[in-house]
Amino acid sequence: MITDSITSAAASISKEFGKKKRTNRTAKLKQCKLDARREQWLSKVKNNGCRGESEGIPESSMHKRNESNESNRSLENLEVRPRGGENDGSVHHDSDSESPANSPTSHISSILGSTDSGTNYHASSSSSSSSGGCCSGSITEEEEEEGNDECLDDWEAVADALAAVDKQKIPVQEGHVEQESHVEQKPVVRSGSPGGISKDTGLGIEIHKPEHVGMVPRAPANGQAWRADDAFRPQSLPNLSKQHSFPMNSDRHYGHGGVPWARSSVAAIPISCPICYEDLDFTDSSFLPCSCGFRLCLFCHKRILEEDGRCPGCRKPYDCDPVEAEAIVNGGSLTFRLGRSYSMIARS
Amino acid sequence: MVDLGRVQKELQECNKNMDVSGINVKPKGDSLTHLIGTIPGPMGTPYEGGIFQIDIVLPDGYPFEPPRMQFATKVWHPNISSQSGAICLDILKDQWSPALTLKTALLSVQALLSAPQPDDPQDAVVAQQYLKDYQTYVGTARYWTENFASSRGLEEKVQKLVEMGFPEASVRSTLAAFGGDENLALEKLCCG
Repeated sequence: MITDSITSAAASISKEFGKKKRTNRTAKLKQCKLDARREQWLSKVKNNGCRGESEGIPESSMHKRNESNESNRSLENLEVRPRGGENDGSVHHDSDSESPANSPTSHISSILGSTDSGTNYHASSSSSSSSGGCCSGSITEEEEEEGNDECLDDWEAVADALAAVDKQKIPVQEGHVEQESHVEQKPVVRSGSPGGISKDTGLGIEIHKPEHVGMVPRAPANGQAWRADDAFRPQSLPNLSKQHSFPMNSDRHYGHGGVPWARSSVAAIPISCPICYEDLDFTDSSFLPCSCGFRLCLFCHKRILEEDGRCPGCRKPYDCDPVEAEAIVNGGSLTFRLGRSYSMIARS
Repeated sequence: MVDLGRVQKELQECNKNMDVSGINVKPKGDSLTHLIGTIPGPMGTPYEGGIFQIDIVLPDGYPFEPPRMQFATKVWHPNISSQSGAICLDILKDQWSPALTLKTALLSVQALLSAPQPDDPQDAVVAQQYLKDYQTYVGTARYWTENFASSRGLEEKVQKLVEMGFPEASVRSTLAAFGGDENLALEKLCCG
């Protein structure tokens, strides 16, 4: 029940989080990722235990009262799904009324969650795991919202998903193996989401049929993992991808942008101005006032322009040079201008 | 204001390889704006064997303005005043470039010694002699070099004046002031 509310709330929350993410994306991104990682490691220990339970006998001491009940039923559900679905579903639907028709997934998740919240989540997580780490991000946030105690199962799933991403889906296979039947349920319902809702509200048996049929559509469902959750995933996915690409890109920009500068400046610094014998900075070394190739610092160049205005190298007048210099300054980057002013300040 | 940082670096640079070029620059007093440059007379010229001292005054605008140079040692040369030691050299006037240095300027002066330009004379008498009686010019130039620019000649003059009863220190300073001209120095010493 609690997990149910978690899932449904998570579904609805995820929307909000989509917006939140956009706004707080940069801030939360790394935080969430780190939290997810940390939780993943923490939950991994429990995962091992949980897997054994879920794989083995449904009796799980670790799960809460709800889940233990559900896990008990899960056996029944496997055979006679409707009962568990109806029983739990009826209870849960009430609690699910928060977001009744928000999206098919919320309903589905509620129903599935009623049967077995952990597995249900596994299903979503596993399907999402194929999509990449974005799901993990949203889940982590949900988890943070809801509270850790109730989400141990969820974290099991999250851990699986993360591990799947990180370790090339070895854990995913485990997850699949664990809850094959459940995993298959969800994508099926998703694919037939509009009809699924009506069925959900009605009889759990109906769900069972698509579940079996789902074996076929499941592949495409997984392949199109996003389509089912189009409401949420696309938001989180691009966000995460952007976030991933952002820091990396920025790093690259800074790295590649900065290093050549540093190099060039380093290479230019040893060359001193032949007039004042001061070291040329980057701006000076990139300043070529005369076609003869004679370089000098901007300060000396300015001084010469004020006096005879001839190039010290070739003695030709700097006639066109003021224009040229201005063109360089104007056409050049902002840094050039800054560099010039900076050099002026530094030396004056 | 003279760029003292540049001047100091110039002096270091110039004196670092003095053995190769033979050109030396050192401050005349405490100020870095008044210097004494020394160039050897070029080989194969009447100035060979002489050590010529050049008085250098750096204007405030240096290096954007040329240094004021003139020979402190008497020289017989069409482009150098035999009276004042003023040098007629374009790079010390309108063709000065801030890219030039004291050393390069002194090298140019040294080159001027080996390549007189009588068509653009500083000293008309010397230029006329150079054009009309080259041999006489060569003899006079060599004589001046031996008399005024050679250390050996200087020591002889110092010794002669000291024997006359003048103190050596004042003899040396007076000779230096008159460019090694023995007669002018004697006149000055006699006048007190």
